[in-house]
Amino acid sequence: MGLSSASTATEAIKLCIFDLRRGQQEGQELDKILFFFPADLPFSTQLSVIGLSEGLITFTRIFSPEAACELIEAERHSHVFYEAEPDIWMVMIVEKNESEAIWRIAALQKVLKEVHSLFLMFHGSIRALLEKEPAGGLIRAHLHPFMMDYLRDFLFGKKLLLPSFRDCLKECGTVQMLNVSREAAIEVQSLVRLLESCAGSSPCYSLILFQDLLVSTTLSPVDTINLFTYAVLRLTPRTISSGVSSWSYLRKGSTGSSVTAGYTLAHSASVPDQYYCLPDTSPSGDNNYHVVRPLKRDRWSKAKDGFLVTDIWSAEAGSSTSATPTIWLQQTEERMYLCAYQFRSLTLILVVPVASILNGEQLVSLVKQQVLENASLKMLKVEEKLSKGWGGENAYHVSGYRYLLVDVDRNVSRASPPGKVTTLTKDQVLRTVIVKGPKVGRLFPLQFSIPKVVSLACTTTANVNEVWHKKF
Amino acid sequence: MSGKASSSQPTVRLSGSGGLSHVYIQYPPLRCNISGSRGLFYDDGNKLLHSPTSDRVFSWKTVPFSSLADPISDLISEGPILSIRYSLDEKFIAVQRSNHDIQFWHRETGETFSQRCRSESESILGFFWTDCPLCDIVFVKTSGLDFFAYNSESKLLHLVETRKLNVSWYVYTHESRLVLLASGMQCKTFNGFQLSSMGIIRLPRFEMAMAKPEADSKPVLAAEDIFIITVYGRIYCVQVDRVAMLLHLYRFYRDAVVQQGSLPIYSSRISVSVVDNVLLVHQVDAKVVILYDIFADSQAPISAPLPLLLRDLRRYNSSASQSGREDCESSEANIVSENEATIYGDDWTFLVPDLICDAANKILWKIHLDLEAISASSSEMPSVLEFLQRRKLEVKKAKQLCLAMARTVILERRPVAMVARAMDVLVTSYSHSIKMGSYLKGIKSEKALPSTATYVGSPSSAADTTASRMGVLGRSAKHESAASADSEHFNRTSTFSTSDTEENASFEPPKTNPSDIQSVDSRMDVGANVQTSSSQHHLLGASNTPLDANVSEQQEELTSPAIAPDEMYGFVFTPVEEEMVGDPSYLVAIIVEFLHSANSEKIKVHPNLYVLTIQLLARNERYTELGLFVINKILEPSKEVALQLLESGRQNIQTRKLGLDMLRQLSLHHDYVLFLVQDGYYLEALRYARKYKVNTVRPSLFLEAAYASNDSQRLAAVLRFFSDFIPGFQNTSDHNTYYRILNEMSSSIAGHCF
Repeated sequence: MGLSSASTATEAIKLCIFDLRRGQQEGQELDKILFFFPADLPFSTQLSVIGLSEGLITFTRIFSPEAACELIEAERHSHVFYEAEPDIWMVMIVEKNESEAIWRIAALQKVLKEVHSLFLMFHGSIRALLEKEPAGGLIRAHLHPFMMDYLRDFLFGKKLLLPSFRDCLKECGTVQMLNVSREAAIEVQSLVRLLESCAGSSPCYSLILFQDLLVSTTLSPVDTINLFTYAVLRLTPRTISSGVSSWSYLRKGSTGSSVTAGYTLAHSASVPDQYYCLPDTSPSGDNNYHVVRPLKRDRWSKAKDGFLVTDIWSAEAGSSTSATPTIWLQQTEERMYLCAYQFRSLTLILVVPVASILNGEQLVSLVKQQVLENASLKMLKVEEKLSKGWGGENAYHVSGYRYLLVDVDRNVSRASPPGKVTTLTKDQVLRTVIVKGPKVGRLFPLQFSIPKVVSLACTTTANVNEVWHKKF
Repeated sequence: MSGKASSSQPTVRLSGSGGLSHVYIQYPPLRCNISGSRGLFYDDGNKLLHSPTSDRVFSWKTVPFSSLADPISDLISEGPILSIRYSLDEKFIAVQRSNHDIQFWHRETGETFSQRCRSESESILGFFWTDCPLCDIVFVKTSGLDFFAYNSESKLLHLVETRKLNVSWYVYTHESRLVLLASGMQCKTFNGFQLSSMGIIRLPRFEMAMAKPEADSKPVLAAEDIFIITVYGRIYCVQVDRVAMLLHLYRFYRDAVVQQGSLPIYSSRISVSVVDNVLLVHQVDAKVVILYDIFADSQAPISAPLPLLLRDLRRYNSSASQSGREDCESSEANIVSENEATIYGDDWTFLVPDLICDAANKILWKIHLDLEAISASSSEMPSVLEFLQRRKLEVKKAKQLCLAMARTVILERRPVAMVARAMDVLVTSYSHSIKMGSYLKGIKSEKALPSTATYVGSPSSAADTTASRMGVLGRSAKHESAASADSEHFNRTSTFSTSDTEENASFEPPKTNPSDIQSVDSRMDVGANVQTSSSQHHLLGASNTPLDANVSEQQEELTSPAIAPDEMYGFVFTPVEEEMVGDPSYLVAIIVEFLHSANSEKIKVHPNLYVLTIQLLARNERYTELGLFVINKILEPSKEVALQLLESGRQNIQTRKLGLDMLRQLSLHHDYVLFLVQDGYYLEALRYARKYKVNTVRPSLFLEAAYASNDSQRLAAVLRFFSDFIPGFQNTSDHNTYYRILNEMSSSIAGHCF
């Protein structure tokens, strides 16, 4: 993420989501608030934060109607703005800390973007949910657990700590790819085609990961990023076996249990696990909504047949929808079944359209059966090939350097492996950036397409972000 | 669809007798009817059929097989004839006169001498000429083998070596160079010698298995029950066990004889032939033939027992107008008489390896495999392809069938796994043929013959024949296409099938290799070639691509049915892509499988196949996958691939960039600079051109592009660049023109401002 600093102050980070179209009348200002973290702040404080943000948005729109305010740099705080959907804003307020360097604002925005994209994938747009129930109870009931499940990875006690660039190097909204040989790549593609045929005539997509790295995808770039992000957060062998997310894994010394404890402390313990509704802010607070919480921790496990199972979706007792996980594809706006299979380090995600004659359970079990029957041998071969070519966790370490390479065109990034990132001292990190530029070509031929194009007619400006630090 | 058309339709039409069969004999046979003939003798060393009369011997060549072959005749003296064999250099005629002596003629000088047994107690069972360095001729006697060499000075044979053995009877075939000598009470103990050009190898003595009908009876093995066959260069012995109703197979190694299993038989009279390495077991009483491909361990028959078919010309003539040999045949006014047409008649003798001699009618048939029927009868596609890929005789047809099957299987959208296996068979076979050198041999000779014209190998007015046939054939092709929409449709998609159909129709006898083509054949070859090309012109017109033209050239030169990746692209993927409707992702899956096979065999793939893959993926807007294909080098970088990426990238900027990067990495500086300019990156292009010394891009190109952007700053920058870095640029007309334009532009801007 390349976030530049960890914060230690209390209430260092605030995060809110609000809708500019709501609560325009005096006395109804609370309507605007769709989500606020920390939730236990007094409403007056919440409203003042949102009021300031709204004022700035309105003001800057005069000059730039298309892209309004991105950032306020106050003396002690930075306000990061992200317009997730028209008139629906996400604002993150981070405290500045004299001793630490500057936040990378773009990185913070990408965090906001990531969480929103994930929300879209599982629940659809915020606006759609608002329109479904204009009172706002539904969206709040969805947003709160979702956001909290997401933030829980960063919660330490009551504090929200975003990892600093000393803890890890990561770019949100990109995927990390595995370098594969041509032979393995053909084998993988052969498997991909085989999987495609498993769903019969219905168009089916697949995503294949090896460890935490993407090997193949047939989804559109945007859906690939979302599903990849989710897989790394909750589905890969590492997260399933250890029960911790990749973030917690990256942060040394932190354990999943303390984080969970922090969450339960922060929120009233009386709230039922599956049915979450905001106690006070929601006008229809007495309603109980069935909310699926796909980001909930430790809910995925590997079944005997190799498929990953979860009870997240089956929580909707009595509802007509099936227990099979579903997601929305952004590219095609289709509702799809999510079906994940794991074989050793290989994670395989199949996405099958819901709109089908068979009901969900039948279709998914049919697909599963097909996969087991036709593709297991091939998967074995692919896993073998990939493991053979895989240089281990530190395969992409460049000794003496820590780096983060981003290919914006293809939404691909690569960084120093987490185990190697933290080996630098503070001084070393802060002092110098020794190289900027297309150093990449030498290291990963063709893996990154770096346009060296900066010319008069260049429409895209420097679209590759790279930071190289020299170790001393 | 098209595959079906080629594989089944012509067969049905051609099988005049209407029966279903996998093996056929082709009318007309070779007629060896000489008045006063005293029988027919087959000389397998020279592949000659001899028919002696009282004072002459007439000989017909049986390879290449042609019913029009004229006999050559030699004078011999009168006397009884037990057997006749020409020496391998065809200088001598050896005639066994009795059990005790063999007479020799020198064909040129007419000199003659005789060789007799030394003692009266032994008798000569037979003899054969050999190319063994030790000797020239071997006598097989009841007391063993005598090896003789011809002494050109004394003009006599002199004994080189003798092997003492008891011999009841013997079997010899020249193609195996193996003589098996039976001995013992039951004649089931065998001694074997191989007399090859490498010398004499003595095989270990072995016994053949024989079931006993009752405890105390001992059946005696007869010479008719033993066959030596040569399949895929391996030598086997086939033994009929009449009691067990089994056919035992023995394989010969240098130092061992190994029984290789048994095949069931369904007739008391059994004969075997080998056509193109396929073992044909004739169940004579049942009048059916069973085919075995003894390549792998499997001893399952290729297909169900079916009768041997006589392909009759007359019926075909009435059903479709055909030229070629038609006139010759009709002039002969031959009809298949009732007894001639008797399949598995009592007078049939099966000659090694694939001839049938009808002694009563004095005719010789050649057995052919009906590859189309065989391939149509099995649904197990990959194994049929394997079978076809092993064929050496009708290479062209096997190849066409393979291509047609590959097309069909894709068009029918069979399961990917099955098609993958089929692709693997084809690629493995190609890789094998490359390693063995058989494929390259074909290609080389093809290149030596740049156009069809060079095929006019016949000494007799070839041009005449060609011209006259053109008309007829053009018509016939037209007639055919009109007659069946199916075939027309097929002709359009592939010229291979055109030639296929035509070839069938003209009854062109199969050829083993180009060198065998003799005058008779070459005349027909011309016909066949003209036929192909003329019908191509007829049906394809101007759209006839160079690749198609190559096909007709290649036809006669093929030595292996292996299909090169280029041909897979040209004759499978391209036609299939044109015909396929709907989602192209299936075809992508097939291509991936093909690449998989090619990669595992380390075979280079035609860049056009990569281009096709890009087109297919781009058509489905699967740009993400396309990116993965390029980045992982599944589509190997080449200029063609780069240009297609740039083309397909018009809708997708990432794809276009992949194309640009590929150009740069391939050091195609000129193209890279051009595309940079095209995309509007003038200065980057200039900087790149300067760095890599690309002098081939004209300055005016940059200037025009900069001018077209209507931005005076850009134009100025470009102009300045050239003025600074190209010496003497200021004096060129380009400079003057654009300098003036620049001045006009800036003054107009200035004027506008004020």
